[in-house]
Amino acid sequence: MSPVLRFLIRRIGFFALTFVVFTLVIFTLPRAIPGNPLSTLLSQLFQQAQANPELIRAVYKRLMDEFGVGKPLHEQFLLFISRTLKGDLGTSIAFYPRKVADIVFAYLPWSLGLLIPAVLTSWIIGNMLGALAGYKRTTALDNAMLPAFLTLSQTPYYWLAMIFLYIFAVNLGWLPIGGAYSSGRIPKLTLDFIVDMLRHYVLPYLSILLSSMGGWAIGMRSMVIYELGSDYVDYADSLGLSDSKILRYVFKNSMLPQVTGLALNFGSILGGSLITELVFNYPGTGFLLFRAISTLDYPLIQGVFMLLISTLLLANLIVDFVYAYIDPRIRTGYIGE
Amino acid sequence: MSTLLLEAERVKSYYHTREGTVKAVDDVSLDVENGIILGLAGESGCGKSTLMNTLMMKIRPPLYLVDGEIIVDGERISKMERKEIKKKIWGVKISLVPQSALNALMPTKRIIDFIRDVVKFHVDVSDGEIVSMARKRFEELNLPEDSLYLYPHELSGGMKQRAVIAISTLLNPKLLIVDEPTSALDVSTQKRVLKLLLDLKKFKIIDSIVFVTHDIAVLRQIADRLVIMYAGKIVESGTLEDVLSNPKHPYTAGLIHAVITPEPEIRKRGLVSIPGEPPNLINPPSGCRFHPRCLHAMPICKKVVPELVDISNGRKVSCHLVKA
Repeated sequence: MSPVLRFLIRRIGFFALTFVVFTLVIFTLPRAIPGNPLSTLLSQLFQQAQANPELIRAVYKRLMDEFGVGKPLHEQFLLFISRTLKGDLGTSIAFYPRKVADIVFAYLPWSLGLLIPAVLTSWIIGNMLGALAGYKRTTALDNAMLPAFLTLSQTPYYWLAMIFLYIFAVNLGWLPIGGAYSSGRIPKLTLDFIVDMLRHYVLPYLSILLSSMGGWAIGMRSMVIYELGSDYVDYADSLGLSDSKILRYVFKNSMLPQVTGLALNFGSILGGSLITELVFNYPGTGFLLFRAISTLDYPLIQGVFMLLISTLLLANLIVDFVYAYIDPRIRTGYIGE
Repeated sequence: MSTLLLEAERVKSYYHTREGTVKAVDDVSLDVENGIILGLAGESGCGKSTLMNTLMMKIRPPLYLVDGEIIVDGERISKMERKEIKKKIWGVKISLVPQSALNALMPTKRIIDFIRDVVKFHVDVSDGEIVSMARKRFEELNLPEDSLYLYPHELSGGMKQRAVIAISTLLNPKLLIVDEPTSALDVSTQKRVLKLLLDLKKFKIIDSIVFVTHDIAVLRQIADRLVIMYAGKIVESGTLEDVLSNPKHPYTAGLIHAVITPEPEIRKRGLVSIPGEPPNLINPPSGCRFHPRCLHAMPICKKVVPELVDISNGRKVSCHLVKA
């Protein structure tokens, strides 16, 4: 068997295990929250059902089948697993009778459309500015940049989001205060709608971009300073290799930890964006998750988390490969001698 | 044509730091003749590494060349731009074998790719020529050809050391500066590295070597001439035998007595260490910088800086005890 294939199998096996442990956690945790998710739904239904007693029995049977209520927990879990494997994430309680998968996939594009560009641009800009500051260390430029990075990195997303909202939307009125597009509009591919959408996009995007940029820049700056002081830089210099080439070496080696950082950060940013989405009333998965938790909608909570963890694991898998591609030492570690 | 490969005239190179000016190399003149191995010895912190960097103009803030001239193979490099020095001098006329060869290679590039980057910057040759050049040199230094296609972490310590030497001498530089290459190696590997350096000279790949070390015992095996530094100044220089068998400066004598040596009278006496520590070079002692540690110090030593005087064909000492 080729080492690469063995590495791949080991990696995927590891992720499968993570996934199993994870499903157990997301199954158990929401059920540990006190409260009965069905109560609201049932009281609504009963009000309607008083007019039609026939319906009560039908609804009761439906709900028992749908949610497995009343069965022991382990049976509920097995039911959940077997449905999930079949690709069925179940039916939402709060949005009854809509399917969880349909709801999640309606919200997901907004989150991805907001997060992926914001995270990637903050990563790229942050790394470039950090590398510049590291290269120009001890100069006035670095002395100005470092405090700015530190301030940004310690600024919470949601705080920056609220400040932006207050200044640019409420006080100055330049930009809309929330939503992904003006209410009453129907999403369609017209210039008018796209402009409207972008106007709603600016503030949430900038708040994520700026608050996560500082951390990348600080990390990159210290990596570059460390690498610039390393023996191989000194040796390459003494062999007369051009400064620009040496800088490219340093940049390449400094990027390595940043790549892992990116993968790990996708997770925390997915979670962190929850509050950004709440502040801006942005219809993404964070917003959806908040609604799901506040209504104790077990299937929906499971569905959102399922999606988040799959994204995260996939991102990690991709990063593993990227990492092995750019760092030969890691490659050796992965596939063995 | 001059037989001097390198001439340094009254060189002063200082570190400008917040605490003050560190006079790490203070008024040093040094010649390296064609075809010799010059050993540069002294304790840690005596300025030998700074001198080594200065000799090749590897000078970066906070280190500054305050005064003096350096001429390498007819080129006045002390007046050259850094860019020009990098292109025309380093790797081509002077090459360095760094102290930490173990981490000296770019970790995320195959050795051949690193070589390609270096060579391409200096000379206009095709990739194929570079590969055959590298192969030839690796073969000469008994390195397996395949190792060219490995990453540095895939080589053993001894192989890395030899690979670094091979890369440093790839463009047949006239002068090789070697910075404590043996200090991190075990004795048998040390021996192999020394033999390798001698071979490089024998095969005329390089002309001369400046060997920087604190280890007199290593210099005994390889050097033709010795230069002893103390606190930023040269205190004594001469041929290996002259300096070792008849040290004129009390510091040189102290250095030699502090090392196990084969001379019978020293063996009998046992090891004697030099009392005290090297001085702080921000505020060096007045007069002779060695006087606070010197067993023979006289009143004049505190006041007057002794000149480095030639006592007989090339033997130089800077001490008030010695009269020309």
